[in-house]
Amino acid sequence: MNLYEFEGKKLLEKHGIKTPRSVLIRRNDDVELIYNEFGQVDVVLKVQILSGKRGKNNGIKFCSSAEEVKKTCEELFNSQIREQIVVAILLTEKIEIAEENYLSITYDTNLRQPVLIYSVQGGMDIEEVSEEKIEKHKLQIKDSKLESDIPFANELWNCFLDEDCRVVEINPLVKTKNGEWLALDAKISLDDDAFFRHTEWAEFEPRTMLGRLPTDREVQVRKIDEGETYYRGTAGKYIELDGDVAVLFSGGGASIANMDALIKAGLKPANYTEYSGNPPRERVYQLTKIVLSKPDLKGLWIVGGVANFTDIGETFGGIVDALNELKPSYPIVVRRAGPNEDEGKRLMEECAKKNNLKMKYFGKEISMGETAQALAVMIN
Amino acid sequence: MSILIHNNTKVLVQGMTGKEGQKATKAMIDYHTSVVCGVTPKKGGQVIEDKPIFNSVAEAKEQFPEVNVSAIYVPPFAAKDAILEAIENDIPLINAIVERIPIKDTAYCLAAAKEKNIRIIGPSSLGLICPGIGRIGVVGGPLVNEIFQPGSIGIISRSGGMTNELSWQVRKTGLGQSTAVHVGGDLLMGTTYADLLEMFEKDEQTKAVVIFGEHGGSYEFEIVELIKNKKYTKSLAIYIGGKFANLFPEGMNIGHAGAIVERGQGAKEKEEALRSVGVIIADNYEELAQLIKPFS
Repeated sequence: MNLYEFEGKKLLEKHGIKTPRSVLIRRNDDVELIYNEFGQVDVVLKVQILSGKRGKNNGIKFCSSAEEVKKTCEELFNSQIREQIVVAILLTEKIEIAEENYLSITYDTNLRQPVLIYSVQGGMDIEEVSEEKIEKHKLQIKDSKLESDIPFANELWNCFLDEDCRVVEINPLVKTKNGEWLALDAKISLDDDAFFRHTEWAEFEPRTMLGRLPTDREVQVRKIDEGETYYRGTAGKYIELDGDVAVLFSGGGASIANMDALIKAGLKPANYTEYSGNPPRERVYQLTKIVLSKPDLKGLWIVGGVANFTDIGETFGGIVDALNELKPSYPIVVRRAGPNEDEGKRLMEECAKKNNLKMKYFGKEISMGETAQALAVMIN
Repeated sequence: MSILIHNNTKVLVQGMTGKEGQKATKAMIDYHTSVVCGVTPKKGGQVIEDKPIFNSVAEAKEQFPEVNVSAIYVPPFAAKDAILEAIENDIPLINAIVERIPIKDTAYCLAAAKEKNIRIIGPSSLGLICPGIGRIGVVGGPLVNEIFQPGSIGIISRSGGMTNELSWQVRKTGLGQSTAVHVGGDLLMGTTYADLLEMFEKDEQTKAVVIFGEHGGSYEFEIVELIKNKKYTKSLAIYIGGKFANLFPEGMNIGHAGAIVERGQGAKEKEEALRSVGVIIADNYEELAQLIKPFS
């Protein structure tokens, strides 16, 4: 999960990394009152979105009066910055900057260990800074103490480890004209898989990675897996998209290949949905109902590879329960194989017959991608 | 021959008393793999599928010093301790099926394994299979004999389902598999494409390899280096999934840290680099089996 700047800064502060004084403004707050209580003339308004490059996209404004702050907040709340909804605005003191540095820690996949990245040329154009001006230090995951002279490096390492982060980034890390080091921004990505040891994460407000608030369907689907902490399976991955072909994918890898195949067949996905492992019938039923609740669908593609251990009878039972209720009139293509495949096929074909569904059923004799073409032919 | 699994493979299952552990134990035994015992803390003395359960890996090794593989079937919160226990007891090959292990725990285990020259396959790996010899984990499921037959194609997949599906596509063209390995889809992989290709290079049975890859990470560049250094000289075809990812806004990646670490290593650069050293790139996963057939 990615954090907003204001949330990230709280974590930095917790580990002894100083940030400028600030206050968070939400929609409908009394902005003038907040500004007056803040008690500083020159302030910075920063939109809170899950994306960088705010400075270059009119997401950071400098103001010097209550009227100006009020007007600017209104404008910012009514705009989308980088196609993202503005959930809040962080009002901070204006800092007199002497130096802008860059500091981050993340996992390097090739080294399979964390790396610290530091540059004395921080700020807006860090991605263009030449390789020689960027220091990379390998960090040993087994060493909980780091002894570095880089400002705040030790504190950031503690934050990275204790808070189970995948990425922590401070850009810019500034030295003020008074010689004090401050984190002017915070980009933190938490490791969702560590949720079980961070119950405090439940307090974070809902968000999606898509630059918008979660849709009702996305919220509903997320609830299906609530309380599921074991690896046995999941029914709850759903991203709502703009297209009109609903999909029910099984397995992570197959989903990725099939999404590519669907688009290649000229169809537009209404969602990205995957169930994996061995979710019980009831959960697949709930998932199917939500996926098919999207209006104006033109087709449904139920597809997966040759499963290793997913019970096709059980999971298809859940889909069939939903189809029996909804009786969709658009074309449906199914392709699946694996344990208990005969029962899955029987259930699906019986359901199609009973409800007069326009369904084509395939087993492993045909590849997944070919059945995307079959669906395209039926729809067009 | 084959890689990783041999006739003297002796498997220990950590978490054998759990539902998934039991299923996997049965799946391995059904495929004539020698599973010798299980470990579940506080459940020593029980018996599963006629195999004795011990309280710890150390106890198990006292009775069965020949154990050379541990398959890990425990919940994510217990994964780090279980893997470290196997490492401390010098089990040379560990297959971690556990999904959703915190990345910090994975990094810790990989560092500990590296110190002792121990190989981890996974995490999030359903296992591996050498047709006709044995399997670790549940790869192939109950349809294993319909999908797998001994042959000349090595298979590597980031996805468990696709390990099976791809193996099936290979079988459908009339070929068989030497070894099929699900490396797992996590950001940090214990065993990478390049590690396996080096083993396939030395394996006489393997004539060519196919890979189902996924968007993300930079493990493909290790393949390029390997081929440049002539450590892998057989044919290789690869599919890299996830081209649709550009449907999602750029905001999905925050910060620049990833971009700096992986500078110049996008999907396009990956494919170009792989092509330049003679790797065959498939547009669809279905093509892999046909593309590799002439080299089998």
